This record gives sequence, structure tokens and C-alpha cells, in this order.
Amino acid sequence: MNRTRIILRKVAWSVFTIFFVIILNFFLFRVLPGDAARAGIRDPRLKKEAVEMLRVRFGLDKPVINCFESLNPIELGSCNVNPLDTQFFIYVRNLLQGELGVSYHTNRPVAEILSERLWNTVLLIGAGQIFSIILGMALGVFAAWKARTYLDYGAVATSLIAWSLPTFWLGIILLFWGSSNGFPLAGKATPGMSSMPLLQQWGDIARHMFLPTLTYTIVYMGEYTLIMRSSLVDVLSEDYILTAKAKGLSAFQILKDHALRNAMLPLVTVIAINLGFTVAGAIQIEAVFSWPGLGSAIFEAVERRDFPMLQGAFLLIAVAVIIANFLADLTYTWLDPRVQVE
Amino acid sequence: MKQKALYLFMLFALVLSACGGGASQPVTARIGWAGSPDTLNPGMAILIESYTIFELVYDSMYELNLDGSFTLSLAESAEVSDDGMVWTFKIRDGIEWHDGQPLTAEDIAWTYNLYKDTPEYPYLNGYYTPYFDTIVATENNEVILTLTEAIPNVESQLMFLYILPKHVWEGVDKLEYENFEMIGSGPFKMAEYVQSEFVRLTANKEHFSTPPKIDEVVFQTFSNQDALVQAIKSGQLDMITEMPNTAAASLDEDPNIELVVGAPLAPGVSDIIFNQMDPENCPTEEGGICSGHPALRDRNVRLAMSHATDKQQLIDVVLLGLGEPGLTLIPDGLGVWYNNSIEDFAFDVAKANQILDDAGYADTDGDGVREMPDGSQPLNFRLNWPSDSINAPRMAELLGEMWGQIGITLEPQAVDPDALTAQCCPAFDFDIMIWGWASDPDPSALLYVYTTDAIPYGSSETGYSNPAYDDLYNQQQVTLDFEARKDIVWEMQRIVHEDVVYIIPFYDSSVQAFRTDRFTGWITDQAKVELSGVTSLTQIEPVK
Repeated sequence: MNRTRIILRKVAWSVFTIFFVIILNFFLFRVLPGDAARAGIRDPRLKKEAVEMLRVRFGLDKPVINCFESLNPIELGSCNVNPLDTQFFIYVRNLLQGELGVSYHTNRPVAEILSERLWNTVLLIGAGQIFSIILGMALGVFAAWKARTYLDYGAVATSLIAWSLPTFWLGIILLFWGSSNGFPLAGKATPGMSSMPLLQQWGDIARHMFLPTLTYTIVYMGEYTLIMRSSLVDVLSEDYILTAKAKGLSAFQILKDHALRNAMLPLVTVIAINLGFTVAGAIQIEAVFSWPGLGSAIFEAVERRDFPMLQGAFLLIAVAVIIANFLADLTYTWLDPRVQVE
Repeated sequence: MKQKALYLFMLFALVLSACGGGASQPVTARIGWAGSPDTLNPGMAILIESYTIFELVYDSMYELNLDGSFTLSLAESAEVSDDGMVWTFKIRDGIEWHDGQPLTAEDIAWTYNLYKDTPEYPYLNGYYTPYFDTIVATENNEVILTLTEAIPNVESQLMFLYILPKHVWEGVDKLEYENFEMIGSGPFKMAEYVQSEFVRLTANKEHFSTPPKIDEVVFQTFSNQDALVQAIKSGQLDMITEMPNTAAASLDEDPNIELVVGAPLAPGVSDIIFNQMDPENCPTEEGGICSGHPALRDRNVRLAMSHATDKQQLIDVVLLGLGEPGLTLIPDGLGVWYNNSIEDFAFDVAKANQILDDAGYADTDGDGVREMPDGSQPLNFRLNWPSDSINAPRMAELLGEMWGQIGITLEPQAVDPDALTAQCCPAFDFDIMIWGWASDPDPSALLYVYTTDAIPYGSSETGYSNPAYDDLYNQQQVTLDFEARKDIVWEMQRIVHEDVVYIIPFYDSSVQAFRTDRFTGWITDQAKVELSGVTSLTQIEPVK
């Protein structure tokens, strides 16, 4: 089948999925109980008129959509209103114009906050992924090559333990260890560093990244090692590997030219899925190390019923997951030409 | 292999960090807190962290002292007309904004008018300016404030109205302006702000009344309280504004750390809320459901529950001793307004049982739970609390045991805070809730919660309605004589305590800590504790 057609079809599906997510995002958060304008604020100084003004400002005074005043509690309303004057269509129209709205909580444009946070998350998780992929693959290959020796058992046991460690707990342990070794415990940079030379700023960020990245790497390395090992052990038992051995190829050549490429497929799948969710941030790691990433932003937004922020963030995650899967599909066809067929 | 990975990382980090260092450092106080300002636009801000920053960067007409009194700040004198309606403030000469422009009465009048004319500002317009009629600046650098009615608490009404520079704010959208530059006139200047990460302020050594002795102060956000505690222990922070009570003991043992416990500057109170809303008066138009258990509308039941509540045990177990027993919604932190003459209902289980026996709540079917006098339903109450509360789960467990001794059972359940708000008021769709309030330095805000007016507004969480109390509330709003107003406020507390509208288990204490080897001069001997306030931060200096 024609490669371009397959890609086109995948693109079309992706667009459809994103469209579906846009609709779902809107209703999902409005089904939550609570009042976005009050957002759980407990203060007798917050008067009813003030809450009403907030509601008007956020557009929450308008019906959710034709026939529905609100979704939780369900309140039916007039069906005979101008659809363009309902929350749903205002949301869709703004989105089509590239407007994500203003965060209720921080009074700032959502797009601005998301871009700040996204960069932080990509930095942290990106570094964590790169280290865990490299180390996980290396350890997996090593274990598979030494299969059924004590070295293999040791590597598998280590990976299993690393993979099953609760992220939060591991983070706290490393945090305690790091605090006595001079590593910063919170944030992305030392306040006041922005006036320093660029190299120093990077050094400072790297110091801040150390503990969270280490946590991330340990947890994900275990997963990658196990997948790499089991997949490679399978491949190594194939006849063509035996043939390669018979031809007198070195261990390195067999691994590099014959085994690895085939063994990579399952790992690519898992990496692609993980990369997609990278954007959601590793909420637990961000919480332990006060890393200002997307995960913590989403957490705050849920607490405050910050609809624009939630909608924007979930859209971003959806797009990231879809793109990651799309790229994974493309990588398959490159790794294994047989995958080209439908 | 894992080891290697670790060393590899360390090497990477060390190489990069080696490039740092050098240059003479300014004297910086590093403060850790668990929050972060929501916005720097004073009109739109809601979170207390924002107000902490405003307090340092802006000036206002009055400053709240740690003993609960007020002092004039921007004005050198204030005069009030005999009828209490017209206030004339003489503004100090020679005050400058952080950008060098002069601060005059013109800026103040402009700012007050901005707050008064912007109904979208939830607190500053909604609560603090409704009594403003006109505000004008005179040529003598005076501000003349005319009120719509004479009120006794002008100081507390003005203290949160931070003065903004007219020359900056005139040209911006007053709602959407993010105010990152934050030109103010206060003892600290905004230097750097990264949302959810840190706020860095530099000293305004030219400040007219309280120039700081240090050069900088940094507020670092921690999303994890254990990390906060660990950071002060390891010397990465000089002060922390909050901590889990469980950490307090371990910090107290550290020779380089001093723990400070006291009433918070912004009063906070924990309450056990009884739904007393009579379905006949249910505010259905506002979404009232009024499904409360009928027994809770009987004072005898509430009184018995009060006698069966061991507040000291709650404080010892839930707060690990760091709190004071409560009486009414007006906490001891409100100083003179707190009625300390009220004698609380003694912890006495036998008496509690007696009260319920006498009122006809007997256990007729012998299952250990009392029934209504008409036998219709058992005294089994739903107990809810916001799921983000650290204290409430332990409290719920203890209350279950305490009230179990008088034949009352509970169905405890944590609820998402927003959902709980929806359940609470004015829906009145609950029996008992554990929650709390934050409030104003003036008692009026919390006294309002008990009024009949507050029921449809959603501020009343009990549905309590007492015309005599409502009258007193309105009286204290307009009683200008301090002593007379105090007497009314005390009487109101006596009434609601006698009616057992709530059980107030305790008043939360502010628990803060600072490192003794970094700075001296923290203010710790006052009635209230606020180490991150102007009072401490302008006084501290490095340990020699």
C-alpha cells in the first residue's frame, strides 16, 4: 500500500481524535461538582455580589449549552437561546481563534502559563527519559547477552526493584539524601540567578534537576531494562542468530547488526507511550521536588476548578500523546519495513 | 550498573555546578512556604500569599501591628469629623515610588476610587469599599474620605487597600494587568517573580518608616511540606512560614532552629458545624435542600455533644498540642474582641448523657444508639470534611469515639472541598461538617456568619437565626465608641456560645521556625506571630 496514503489516513484520525478531545474536555470538567467562581474560598468577606461579578467575568453566567443551564447539579434551561451565546460555543469559537482563555486562578492567559510549564516539564522528563533509555537499554542488552547467569539475575532483580519502587517514596528518600549533600530541594533555579552568565544559569538548573532526574531515571530504567532484555532474549534464540554465530561474527556484530533492530520494537512502543504522557509531567516527582511543571499546574487547576487551565492542559496532553503515537508508527516502519502493510 | 548511573549523574551535575560561585553576595533572607501568590494584581488577588507580598511591596494608610493595634503609615495624621462621616488624612511629604516618582495624596485618592469603582475586585471592592462615598485629594497633600455612614472600623477597612501608583495604573487594564513590575512604595521592591517558584524582593533602604537592614528576601515555594522542613534543617532556608505539626517536635530539638508558636496574624478558626436549618425556612430559591437531621435543631442535643467533646484531647492528638481551646468563631487572635470571660461547657460525659435522657432521646431498641423522642430515627449523623484537610480525618475519628459514649453514631466521609461548598451553603445538604474560616482583623466579618442575612448568601453554614443577635450585629456595625462596641461584640459571642451554634474545637496556632545561626531580630514576643511580615523582615540582620 502507498506509504503517503497511510500517513494521510493517520493524520486524519489524529485530527478527528483531537476534535473529540476538545468536546470531551469541555463537558468533563463541568460535570465536576462545585462552583468555579467560588472555588472553595472560605471567607466571610467574599460577598455574593462579588462571586456574581466573577461569574460574569468568566462567562459562567451563561448557559453551558442550549437546554442546559448547568451540568452539576443538572439544571435544564431554555433551548431557545442563541447557541453562540452559550459557554460551549464561546469556548469552541475562542479555540478556533487560537485563544485558550484566561486562568480563573492566576488571572493570566492560559497559553502563557502552559508554555512556561511545558518547557520545564520537557526539560526534566526529557533528561530523565534520555538517561533511562540509554541506561535501560544498555543494562537490558547486557542482561540478555548474559542470560541465565548470575549477572543476568542480578540485573533483572535490580530492575524489578527499581521499577516497583513507589516514585513518591523513592523521591523522598533521595530528597533526604540530597539535602545533606548540598543539592537544592525545590524549584528549577536559584532566585537571583537570572542576572548571571548563561553558563552559570545552566549549571544552576542542572543542580536543581539532579534529584528529580535521578528519581525519574531509576524508576523508568527498570522498566526499559526488563522489556529490552526479554525481547532480546527472544530474538537471540532465533535461527538466524545461530547462523550469524556460525559465520563467525563477533558478539558485538551480532547484537548490533542482527539482533538489536528486531528487539527494539516493543521498547519503541513503550517509550512512545511514555513520551506522550511526558507532557502530563510526572506529577509525583514534581510534587516531591516542587518542580514547576505541567503536572503540578494541572493539580492546582483541578483544586480551583480552573476550567480554562484544565481545558488547555488536557488539550496539550492529548495532542502530545497523539503526536507521540504517530511518531512511533513512523519509527516502526523505519525499524521494520514489514510494518508498512496495513 | 545502578551505581555507575548514579556516579555519572553526579559527575554531570558537579561539572556544571563547578562553573558557579564567586562574586560578593547580597545579604538575603531565604523564606520557604508551601504556597505561592495567585496574582500580583491587588484587586484580583485572593490567596493570603499574595497579601504577604503586597504588605512588603506596597504601603497603605494603616499598618496592623502584632499586638492587634493599628498605626498610621502613609499619613502623618488623621482627623475625623464629629459625625464620623468625613476623614481627613494628611499624607507625609517626600515619599517616593520605587521608580523615583513622588507619591502624593493624588495617588491615594485615585487608588481608593479605583477600588470603589471596580466591582470585579472580589475583596477590595466587595468588602472594603462599600462605605466609601467620595474620595478627593487636596492641594495640601491631604486625602478627604467621605463615608456613606459612620463606621467604627475605618482602620481595618483601609489596611488592605494598598496604594498603587497612578502613573502606572492609569494606562492599564485594571482587571487583566498582571503587575509583574509591581511598582510600589513599601520597604521592599519587586526584583523577580516566577509564578509557583519564587518571589525575590530587594530592600528599599529609603523607606520613610521601616527601611530593611537586609538586602534581599526570597520566598521559595515548596509543594511538599517535608521538603520544607528538610530545607531549613539542612540550612537551605533561614525561615519557614508553616510546617506539619508532626515536624514541629523534631525542629524544636535542632539547636540551630527556633520554633515560634502563637496566634496567626490573619485569624483562623476550625469549626464543627451543625446544620440547624429548618426545612420550613429553607432558602430554596438559592438552591436550598435542607436535609439536616432534625435532632441537630435541638439545643439539648448540641449541648450534650458539646459536653461530650474533650477539646484538650483533640488539641493534644490532632494538633500535637499546638493550639488553644476554642469558644466561638471569634478567635483569641482577635485580641480585645475575643470574649475571654465565657466559661466553656465542661467535658462531662455523664452530664451529656443526662441531658439527652431528660430531653427524651432514649435508646429504645437497645442497639447502643439513641433515637429521636418520637422514635422516628436514630441519632446517626453524616460527618463530612474537605478532603484537603490534614487535621479533619483524625478529628473525625476522635469525635466518633467521644460521641459514641453518649449514644450518637457518625457516618464519616471526606468530600472534595468544592463539592463540600456545594453541599454546604446555602444548600444545607449535610448534618455535621468539620471546616474552618479565615478572616479579617475586625470581628465584624466572622460575626456576620451567624446572622440571618447570611443564610441565602451562603455565608451562614448553620442556618442559625436569632433576631436579637441580628440586632446586635447591626448595632456594632455603627457604634463608634470603642468600649460600647466591644461590649456588644462580647455579648454576641456569649449568645452564640450559649445557643451552641457550633462546637469550636480549637483556634489554630501559627507554627513557624527560623535558623538562629543566620539572622537575629525576629519578632517573637508579640501577641501574634508573623515572621514573614514587615515587622520581622525589616528588623532582622545577619548574625555577626
